[in-house]
Amino acid sequence: MQPNDPPPEPIVNVAELLARVDNDAELLRELIAIFKIEFPRHLSALREAVGQGNLKNVQKSGHTLRGMLSNLGTTRAAAAAARLERLEDPSDGTALKSAMALFESEVTNLLPELEACVAKARP
Amino acid sequence: MRILIADDDALSLRLLERTLERDGYEVTAVQNGRLAAEHLCRHDGPRLALLDWVMPELDGPGVCREVRQKREQVYVHMVLLTSKESKRDVIEGLESGADDYLIKPFDPAELKARLRTGLRILQLEDRLVEAREDMRFKATHDPLTGLFNRGVILDLLSRELSRSRREDGCTTILLGDVDHFKNVNDTLGHVTGDEVLREIARRLLGSVRSYDFVGRYGGEEFLVVLNNCNLPSALQRAEEIRRAIASAPVQTVRGPVPVTMSLGILASTEWGVLPAEELLREADVALYKAKAAGRNCIKLASPQVPPNVPPQPLEEQPK
Repeated sequence: MQPNDPPPEPIVNVAELLARVDNDAELLRELIAIFKIEFPRHLSALREAVGQGNLKNVQKSGHTLRGMLSNLGTTRAAAAAARLERLEDPSDGTALKSAMALFESEVTNLLPELEACVAKARP
Repeated sequence: MRILIADDDALSLRLLERTLERDGYEVTAVQNGRLAAEHLCRHDGPRLALLDWVMPELDGPGVCREVRQKREQVYVHMVLLTSKESKRDVIEGLESGADDYLIKPFDPAELKARLRTGLRILQLEDRLVEAREDMRFKATHDPLTGLFNRGVILDLLSRELSRSRREDGCTTILLGDVDHFKNVNDTLGHVTGDEVLREIARRLLGSVRSYDFVGRYGGEEFLVVLNNCNLPSALQRAEEIRRAIASAPVQTVRGPVPVTMSLGILASTEWGVLPAEELLREADVALYKAKAAGRNCIKLASPQVPPNVPPQPLEEQPK
């Protein structure tokens, strides 16, 4: 990183997320509870599609995950999901692997980051 | 205001639901397009909808197409909410019948503002429908009594005569005239006369079945069309109407006004296939006879010659 580069985007855009839930801690807790159930299901489907090299299903899972992650203000992870959604060349295994690796790295610490936001919202 | 939201992503659905509830909407949330279309196509279904594009069973544009096709009477304002954002997608969404288009993740303030736009459009539509219905009522009803006006009651009579002939049934015409009504106007004034006519209209409506027709034929003349009513029943019904009119004086601002009605009655089955105008002429003759017989009574219009009698052969001319 060069001294003049902009600071890296945070894992969770807290201001955006709190605005989206109208600063409501209860709603945020509810959304995180849904995320805990839904995200592993979609991630597993994505991994399976990547394993099978099924680009159509990769795009489908990427689309669903992008929507879910965008709603939670997890901009970087959403962008990584969008990259999977936009993959077009079924023969380009390198691009698929690289996009999946980036996605996996972006979602690693999502949950604790999201849970930390609850404390910043109105109780 | 009720709103339907449809999204297969549970998280997005809950976020939308809470955002809209907080803004005062009564929300119905569903997770697939088929359910969304079913709700929106109900005659009392929500008239505002937020639809995700990609959904199981039926996608957002599919819902829009189905609703536009099936729910023609009432307008439903539909907004597509999706992460598809290319120009081609926007055009496809709007062409499917959507009114608006929002990109996910939605901005709460923008979402609310766009829904308010939808509400304004629906309110405008309501006002236009109300104005149209008001104009339709004014064009078909008599302003004083609220009964069908002359043009409409004559149309209804013609229609019912055709139907009863087709189905081998009987339509009965009752032509009634308020007795000594001119005296009411001359002695108590037209305002009181109007009160009397309004009350007579109310009594007439209260004396017929929901599927009979009552109209104001002229000044103090009323035409009642009894559908599917044979002569014996019609005579009984006419007598009930006569009694209902005479049952009590009409209470007016100028005091109680006793009222009676003379009636001419005609059953279509006795008259072959004469047009409505001729039957009305005959009913009017019967009404005149009721007046001549002392008023407040009913006279039946009977043909001099039975209908459908084959013409007599011409006598042979002497050679």
